[in-house]
Amino acid sequence: MIPAHIRPESLEELLTALDTASYTIFAGGTDLLIRKRQWQGAERRFEEPLAFINHLEELKEVVITQDHFLIGALATQEDIASNEALPDYLREPYRQMATLAIRNIATVGGNLINAASVGDSLPVLLALDARVILKSVAGERSLTLDELIVDKYRTAIKKNEVLTQVIIPRRHFSGYYYKKIGQRKASILSKLSVILLYRKNKNLEDLRIAVGAVNSRPLRLKEAERTLLETGCIDAYLKALLESFHSEDDKRSTREYRETVTLDIIRKQLEQLFS
Amino acid sequence: MTQVTFTLNSETVSLETTLSRRLLDVLREDLGLTGTKEGCGEGECGACQVYLDGALVNSCMVPMANVMGREVVTIEGFSQTADYAKIESAYMEEGAVQCGYCIPGMVMATGALLKTNPHPTLSEIKDGLSGNICRCTGYQTIFKAVQRAATEEVDE
Repeated sequence: MIPAHIRPESLEELLTALDTASYTIFAGGTDLLIRKRQWQGAERRFEEPLAFINHLEELKEVVITQDHFLIGALATQEDIASNEALPDYLREPYRQMATLAIRNIATVGGNLINAASVGDSLPVLLALDARVILKSVAGERSLTLDELIVDKYRTAIKKNEVLTQVIIPRRHFSGYYYKKIGQRKASILSKLSVILLYRKNKNLEDLRIAVGAVNSRPLRLKEAERTLLETGCIDAYLKALLESFHSEDDKRSTREYRETVTLDIIRKQLEQLFS
Repeated sequence: MTQVTFTLNSETVSLETTLSRRLLDVLREDLGLTGTKEGCGEGECGACQVYLDGALVNSCMVPMANVMGREVVTIEGFSQTADYAKIESAYMEEGAVQCGYCIPGMVMATGALLKTNPHPTLSEIKDGLSGNICRCTGYQTIFKAVQRAATEEVDE
């Protein structure tokens, strides 16, 4: 049976539909169409009808206010990568995702709701204390990334909700470091990724570190970060990081490679920062 | 089935299809535009690339719901332009085409690159074509063709 897909004309119409029946929300589709792939040319089979939302202009806006970057959930990854008004530390991870032809379709919100362990936008957003807005007919709520992403491919979004916006606090960073490691440079799923953001004047005043693709969800140790900033004890931070790893061997890499390389990269950066 | 209307190579097209059907299948099967190829079917190879509202996309990853009201240009449409003529002659001059299966996608990606960056460096060319896989040429002749297309003036 062909399910009755819908293509609501407005956010309001979408929310009403989500409240009355069960739909899979379909944005850019670069993950969904591939995950449901069958033999060549065959139509994709989905467990439930789709709600196509990619055309909703109201969810595409990128707004920069004094305190925040407000990113519409349907902004494409290339909208972020190529937006010169946004800071490099935010654009760079998006720029290194997939390829231009995919980034032109894939959305910011899609990468979050797909919640793959290798989602390269997750670590930077976690490091920036980003929040997401989830809307339903009942109203809206705001979650941190830590609250949104429950596990690999699992989020806290309810069936009647849609992610509408990502809110990123604007902070001044004097520098950042981003490293994505994969089998090739472009069009590759990460073996691991590391982002460091810092503000350093005379002393180091702010420091955030997030790791992607090692654990089943992005990893950031806020407590250990604070201690590191206060004490400068790199070994203690790396020990805490190692203890929180639960990587596995898979087709992309091994546990040993991921953990060793992640620690080596971060150690090198921290030693430079604290020297 | 849903009535889907969009612009294809400067002409309005309206057809009955399902919203989840891929643009690639509609182009090749319903409309007979077989210049756009299916390679991997999962966004890795770029053989199915077209322009959607002027942006390079993989048509294997675009459902018809996301095409409604928008403008699609395929290799058939692009081949009518002066930009294409320059790219075509550069590919021929450099011997950049072997089996040819990847070439429609390569040409679309080349067109997209040169539109935003008319004089790319070798590194920018590699970046611009990083979503396209060729199993014959080893890429070197293709890179040279893009460089040639970027430097040569067209005779019109």
